[in-house]
Amino acid sequence: MIDAIKLRILQGDPIVHDVKNANLPKLFRGLPTIADKPCPAGCDKCAAVCPVRAVTAAPVKIDLGRCTFCPLCEEACPEKLIHYTNNYHIASDKRENLIVTKDTKTITPARAAKKIRDYFGKSLKLRQVSAGGCNGCELELNALNNVNFDMGRFGIEFVASPRHADGIVITGPITRNMSNPLKICYEAVPGPKIIILAGTCSIAGHVFENSDQVQRKFLEENKIDLYIPGCPPHPLTFITGILSFIGR
Amino acid sequence: MSSLQIQNNQCFRLEEIIFSDKNNFLKIVSEHLANGFRMIGLFPPDKSKPGKIIAVLANSGSSELCITGGEFPRDKLEFESWAVSFPQTNYFECELAENYGYIPLNHPWLRPVRKQNMIAGGKAYQFYKLEGDEVHEVAVGPIHAGVIEPGHFRFQCHGELVYNLEINLGYQHRGVEALFLEADRNRRIMLAESIAGDTVIGHICTHCNIIESLSNTPISLRAQVIRSIAEELERTAMHLAGLGGAANDIGLALAASSYGRLRTLVINSLADLSGSRFGRGLFVYGGVRFDFDSENINLIIKKLHTVRNDVKVINDFLFSSTGALVRFEKTGAVSQDSALKIGLVGLAARSCGIELDTRINYPYGAYRYFPVSQITLSTGDVFARSRLRALEIDESLRFIFEQLENLPEGETKTAVGDAEPDSGVVAITEGWRGEVVHIAVTDEQGRIAQYKIKDPSFNNWYGLSLALRKTEISDFPLCNKSFDLSYAGHDL
Repeated sequence: MIDAIKLRILQGDPIVHDVKNANLPKLFRGLPTIADKPCPAGCDKCAAVCPVRAVTAAPVKIDLGRCTFCPLCEEACPEKLIHYTNNYHIASDKRENLIVTKDTKTITPARAAKKIRDYFGKSLKLRQVSAGGCNGCELELNALNNVNFDMGRFGIEFVASPRHADGIVITGPITRNMSNPLKICYEAVPGPKIIILAGTCSIAGHVFENSDQVQRKFLEENKIDLYIPGCPPHPLTFITGILSFIGR
Repeated sequence: MSSLQIQNNQCFRLEEIIFSDKNNFLKIVSEHLANGFRMIGLFPPDKSKPGKIIAVLANSGSSELCITGGEFPRDKLEFESWAVSFPQTNYFECELAENYGYIPLNHPWLRPVRKQNMIAGGKAYQFYKLEGDEVHEVAVGPIHAGVIEPGHFRFQCHGELVYNLEINLGYQHRGVEALFLEADRNRRIMLAESIAGDTVIGHICTHCNIIESLSNTPISLRAQVIRSIAEELERTAMHLAGLGGAANDIGLALAASSYGRLRTLVINSLADLSGSRFGRGLFVYGGVRFDFDSENINLIIKKLHTVRNDVKVINDFLFSSTGALVRFEKTGAVSQDSALKIGLVGLAARSCGIELDTRINYPYGAYRYFPVSQITLSTGDVFARSRLRALEIDESLRFIFEQLENLPEGETKTAVGDAEPDSGVVAITEGWRGEVVHIAVTDEQGRIAQYKIKDPSFNNWYGLSLALRKTEISDFPLCNKSFDLSYAGHDL
């Protein structure tokens, strides 16, 4: 008993109280900024070095849906036009808004339709499906329930059964062997329901995009409601993305 | 014995491998297996020339590592299975059959490894089935109740007792090994970091060792030490996560949340160093991308002091709780004899009293100069696997503090040249789960022609199956958590 009390005191107050204005480590790579200067003539070093074709040069654009947040393009640019800041607000409801240009200052998902906000605004239960995820995204999604992030305080929780869920969260590039289980799981969720893609793998396939073992048809057949980039997405990117989406 | 003796991370020429005819090859491998060697690889070194395969064998007791080759008649890719006498080769033979069409004759149990419900030759696979009164089957997955990776489990039960647990995987198969052959260097690094997201450092470190050995690149001591610190941070973080998971599975919320809090501190230390909570982006060929400076080192030391102080209190709380011990002790026990027979590796093997730690048996990188201690326990149950993780956290933290206080000076990056043509390397590192093995072979132009990866989970899933025998089905979550295996690492 005394040990338990001692442990509780050591626990202190580790929670991130203000999830919208937290301070991440200086080196954390979140939203990039692109300086408003022209590229040197003929230079495409940033685009050429990117292993996942996330970057286009002259003018520089970075697709955060494809980006794995390695610093290769930042290192490659001779003019130092690209800089990854530790701003973790990078979720979006529209795929095209994930493309960062020199004009991009912030990325925020628009509020969902009124019906979705009325249904899920105060309580959102999600079923996660790992479809080839390497366990990186899964670890970060599990971290959402720990004492630091405690997503449950906002009424957002992961549930065991798709029957109890209001939507699914997909991680991984969607392997051939998981494409059918994913479809069955989605069909088992009662409507209205939402689809959230978490992580570069599910949004654009990461380095597995062109593997013959990957089958991404599900994404063409269904409307995606929220994109949460990152490799893996930071827990705070996930929480703030969903909170903005449901209008909180 | 006609085999090529090599060292961990040593580049060898392909022509040095001795290829015997099929019968001799089978005999040589059998002799090695009888003399305490374990199989760590069985595959054709060159896909374009069918009929040639190599076996990579390791004897951790004597720190020997060797390769032997066999030549099969091209029209008859069959061989007498070793698995009848040496069950540890069972899964390697299944993999060889599935990937390359070699048929192991008289194999005790030919199963699909990654393909769904098919075995070699395109035949439908029949799950193991128990029949009789009071017999029932429980099938779960591929999608499980929590936020975890997919896999299909079939329990054949008699009353409350599990007679057999069949583990059917492959749902996560992304074709990583094939992708390695097409990828350029930057893409390969990303691939290696994504083999198993919980063992980012373990896999990327092994992959970098492969490329650096193939190109004879010496790595600065400072870079080696930073790599080892990252490895130990990953080990500490995942052990904390695993202990938290075990505490959660027995309903001890206070311990579970405390372990979770400390894990956050450890992975945030990795983020202070590399910008990623999992250490992605830290490794480059020839060294590391990020270095310690006076600012991040202080942040990290401060966090790790808290971890070292608090983890002691939590461990005392967990391992003196009668409720926890009742659930941990004698649950899911694997005997040392079984563990040796099926070739368990890593912490699952060490908890059965087997001395098996790559950092000690096949030292690499900074571990050659700054050794760590071999820790083993003997009971092979959930208690041993959990307690061992607690002890390994202490040892990892000791290592990290020792290194942070005496960081060697020097550069952190070395230029990497071209890979040697017609060569090969076997690289083994000790990931937090156990040995991570990568084996690469280059063609005549120095391009990677074959890349094989063995995650420790490949060996250990069968251990979980054994642990469940004659155990109550309700103990499955706890046993599963105590092994803490990777699906993606197995399925690649």
